[in-house]
Order: sequence, then structure tokens, then C-alpha cells
Amino acid sequence: MTAAFTGLRAWLVQRMSAVYMLFFIAYFLVHFAVDPPHSYPVWRTWMTSFSVSIATAAFFAALLAHAWVGLRDVILDYIHPMVFRVCLLVLLGFALTAVGAWIVRILWMSHG
Amino acid sequence: MATMHFSIFRYNPERDEKPYMQDFHIDLVPTDRMLLDVILRIRDSQDDSLTIRKSCHEGVCGSDAININGRNGLACVTRVRELKEPVVLRPLPSFPVIRDMVVDMTSFWKQYHSIKPYLVNEEPAPEKERLQSPEDRDKLDGSYECIMCGCCTSQCPSSWWNPEKFVGPAGLIQAYRFISDSRDRATQERLDDLNSDPYRLFRCRTIMNCTEVCPVGLSPSRAIERIRLRMLDIEGHRGGLTLHRVPTIR
Repeated sequence: MTAAFTGLRAWLVQRMSAVYMLFFIAYFLVHFAVDPPHSYPVWRTWMTSFSVSIATAAFFAALLAHAWVGLRDVILDYIHPMVFRVCLLVLLGFALTAVGAWIVRILWMSHG
Repeated sequence: MATMHFSIFRYNPERDEKPYMQDFHIDLVPTDRMLLDVILRIRDSQDDSLTIRKSCHEGVCGSDAININGRNGLACVTRVRELKEPVVLRPLPSFPVIRDMVVDMTSFWKQYHSIKPYLVNEEPAPEKERLQSPEDRDKLDGSYECIMCGCCTSQCPSSWWNPEKFVGPAGLIQAYRFISDSRDRATQERLDDLNSDPYRLFRCRTIMNCTEVCPVGLSPSRAIERIRLRMLDIEGHRGGLTLHRVPTIR
């Protein structure tokens, strides 16, 4: 948790990531409602196209940032003993990093 | 003549090991209009040790803020005949109890003082007074009316969890009052102070309990939103904050 990621910046990251995720999910739902892929290869081709890949990667980046700010806020609210709080924040950081690495691996392999 | 049933929080630290609820029944008389009238009659007629803080009796001083049927409000402007029975009266949640319905608001005032609730202007004082245009004066509407009763801060979960660090809705609407004052010269310092850590302003989750319970009809949550927008250099709003209809406590 850097000083720059406190207060206003964290609040802004949470709002902007939420707005992006909302648009991304809406786009996905509309796409699948209007022009659903009829087979796995068609779906895969669409998913691995350049623009959708970038948008998907950005979605998961937004999801991780949103989760970090939200869960960090919960920890700051309720966990007051400093040692316990730092342990939980470190644990959360590791967990989100691991999830991020896993997502990168999945997205990377889908292009392989 | 209707009889009303009250269940009132009692605690005298010199006498009681722990707090308890005490039942009172009282016949209403035609002059019993507000809840405070009846509390004072209970005190005078049934138990003179019953303690409540009060002063103006007309919703201006904010002294008699208590929790009425689970909701914070002013006893002196709450219509007693509209309350659901038994009427459960408790001190403001989250503040340490001094006795019965009187609480220690030291942390509340500490946060209020931390936002520098006065004009900061180092420029030489004019001969008469610092003037402002009617439009600039309008910007103070909806924030200067705060009577500092503590109903909002006491009903705010973020203040419950971090009373020493989170300024709280009452302090923040006062901060906004000075941030939006054209005569103040410390706007940026005030904004920087509230953004100096993730606690002072940003513990607010905009659940709007503060706006919901304000007995004057102010909206601290809107003030907090506007402070955030000012931090982003967005001045999309002109004029003051809108007052809302004061909710009826039942």
C-alpha cells in the first residue's frame, strides 16, 4: 500500500474500475444475446481476437484493483491491531497476485 | 386520556454495575406534544434521577439528541403521539455513556475542531467586513445550518469503527461549509488535510445514514461527495446543498 494509493486515488480506482467492469459485462451480455457464437472454435476465435483479448485483460486488471481497494477498506475498517492487519494485507496481496498470475497464464495459453 | 409505555435506558456508573432498560407508563395530557415534554414529566413525576441533556426545547441547540425507537433524533421536535409503543429510548449509539441518555461527545468535538471550523484568511481585514456576492453566499446553504447534535455521526458505521480517525459526517459537512466559502483562503489546505490518509474522509461508504437521520434535513453525504469532486477539480455543482424533508420518527 503506497501513500499514493490512499484516499482519493484508491477511491477513484474503485469507481473507475467498477464503471469499466459494468460496461465490459454489458458488452459481453449484449454480444452473446445478439450474436452468440455457435461453436467453440467461433467463440475461441472471438475471444482471442486482439481487441477482445485486450478488453478481457483490462477487465481482470480492473477486477483485481477493485478487489484490492474494497478488501483493503474492509481490513482498515475492522482490523485494528497493526500486526494482524499487516499480515492480512500481505496475505490479500499474495492472493490477488496469485489470481492475477493465473489469469495471465490462462489468457497467454489461449493464444498458444 | 391515553397512557403511553416507555422503555428507557438507565445507567448510573456510581450505582449500577451495568446498564438496564426501565419501563415507565404515563398518562398523556393535552400539553404533551413533543417527546421531550413527556420525558421531563416522567422525570418530575416518577423518577427525578432520570437524566437527559437539554437546552432550547425547539430543535436549535441539538442538546437532546437521543436514539428513539432505534433511530437518532431530537426529543424536542419528535411528536410523541406518533411514536410506536413501547417507545424505546437509548443514548446516542457509539458514544460513551455518562449517565442515562447523556453521552460523552469528546471524540465528536475533537473531530470537529480538527477541520478548523473557522474562516482562514490572512489578507488584511477590510474596514467593515469581508463581503461576498449573493451567489457565493448561496453556496453555504445546506451546510451552515448544522446544529452539531451528533445524530448523523452517531448513526454512521464508519464512525463506529474508527471514531479517532474518521472525521465523521458532522465534521465533514462543516469542512464543506468552509471549503465552499468564498472568503476562506485555505481551501487547498483543507482538501489536502482530508486526503492526507485513507481515514479522515475516505472511510465514508455513502450509505447515507447521516442524511437519513439529520433532524434539520441536511445531507452530509452530498457534502462529502462534493468534497471528493473538489479534490478532483470538478465544480459541476453551483449553489448550496438541497435540504430534504425531515423524516418522521415512529
